[in-house]
Amino acid sequence: MSKIVVVTSGKGGVGKTTTSASFAAGLALKGLKTVVIDFDVGLRNLDLIMGCERRVVYDFINVIHQEANLNQALIKDKQCDNLYVLAASQTRDKDALSQEGVARVLNDLAGMGFDYIVCDSPAGIETGALMAMHYADEALVVTNPEVSSVRDSDRILGMLSSKTQRAIDGREPIKEHLLITRYNPNRVQEGQMLSLQDIQDILRIPLIGVIPESETVLQASNQGLPAVHMQGSAVSEAYKDVIERFLGHERPLRFVDAQKPSLLKRLFGR
Amino acid sequence: MPAASDPSTSFELKSTQWPLLALALRSADTQQLAHDWQQRYGDAEGFFEQDALVLDFSAIETVDQACDLPALLKLLRNANLQPLAYRGGSNALRLQAAAAGLARADDAIDTVQNRVPSKAQPPAASPVSAPADLSHAGALLIDRPLRSGQQVYARGRDLIVTAMVNPGAEVVADGHIHVYAPLRGKAIAGARGDENARIFTSCLEAELLSIAGTYRTSEVPLPQPVQGKPAMVRLQRNGQGERLLIEPIA
Repeated sequence: MSKIVVVTSGKGGVGKTTTSASFAAGLALKGLKTVVIDFDVGLRNLDLIMGCERRVVYDFINVIHQEANLNQALIKDKQCDNLYVLAASQTRDKDALSQEGVARVLNDLAGMGFDYIVCDSPAGIETGALMAMHYADEALVVTNPEVSSVRDSDRILGMLSSKTQRAIDGREPIKEHLLITRYNPNRVQEGQMLSLQDIQDILRIPLIGVIPESETVLQASNQGLPAVHMQGSAVSEAYKDVIERFLGHERPLRFVDAQKPSLLKRLFGR
Repeated sequence: MPAASDPSTSFELKSTQWPLLALALRSADTQQLAHDWQQRYGDAEGFFEQDALVLDFSAIETVDQACDLPALLKLLRNANLQPLAYRGGSNALRLQAAAAGLARADDAIDTVQNRVPSKAQPPAASPVSAPADLSHAGALLIDRPLRSGQQVYARGRDLIVTAMVNPGAEVVADGHIHVYAPLRGKAIAGARGDENARIFTSCLEAELLSIAGTYRTSEVPLPQPVQGKPAMVRLQRNGQGERLLIEPIA
């Protein structure tokens, strides 16, 4: 049985696509057959982050409209054997997504033996975001440590528990995971960012991980490489911890404590 | 020749559910009904706000007496109700109803047991006719967290929420509001003007508090003794007018 995981947030620019890419790549590195789908029709980015933009011939919308089959549209990742990408269309808009079409594609992917189907949701609460979450079994809610992002994540959590197929059918609710990205413990200490406690106090869903604020993410996306592949970096380690926790293994939280500035920094400033 | 526009873009036909009021008639005598209606609702103008209504004729199906449908519709429309559909009734009555433009709603299901109270005023104001149905209108109980963008309205009754009400969520009741968790969103009690309605919470951090239209936003911070604490909000009248009184509760 494939599991459908939606990566969502409400707010834009918080790290959904970065997370989708690293999460899917991380699952694939664990030997799980994974496909990641870009639901951001019209503003496709996932293929850039995954470094496969030159290989996009057919996209998700072509498959939904039965202009191409899945085998033609699935792009095999160069880094991982078990990873496939289904790119969004850049020339269409969200209205090209139909619920029946999305259901059919997800079903077909399940039939191809994928363990995980990762849906990279667009920002907002309109058609694209609703379609990405509709058939989800689990959700990664990506949140930055600031008030507007927490508010938008709260809105998305409300929709996950009321507008999705599981909610409509009255089945067991979607399993929700909170992923905090761009976390900077030093700035939290200085009161410039919300703390983990502040965020959890509002959202009250289990925390699956904290990704530290880092320039590695920008470097990785410019190289077209999911950040999880940036060996030795804190971001990569943090994403690997997320995968382990997602698969049911306990891992202590890392990268959440403020670093004391070194003596030299204290003497000479930044 | 202009290309025909794609019909799928200009509209969308969807099935939807909508809570309606149902008027169950127990007598076909319109004059009697008008008399009883006056007794119960009097001139309580604005009690109904163009609420949609289903006429339930099923209880008077076997009654011989003819029902004066036009008079009934006039009475209801004058009371600011919008009769939309009918259910049950004799063949003659059904023909009349259809001719009057009402839709057939024989499949309508009663989902809510509560009844609309007699008047917007508190029961103390009308000691003569203590309406039994008011005291039995149970509170609406919500056990799930209300998150940003979600809204709950307890029409004609109290509201009890046992989970958090987050910023951007709204809890509205015609009666009292109880929140046994952090209340961080908007709370609007006495939405139809009941000045005796109150708001209770075990942790007051509301964005907005309102009772019978008198409101207070969080722009002025809540007083220290109640901020983040168990508190009760009620409406206080004095010479200068009305204001919200927020008191800690143990």
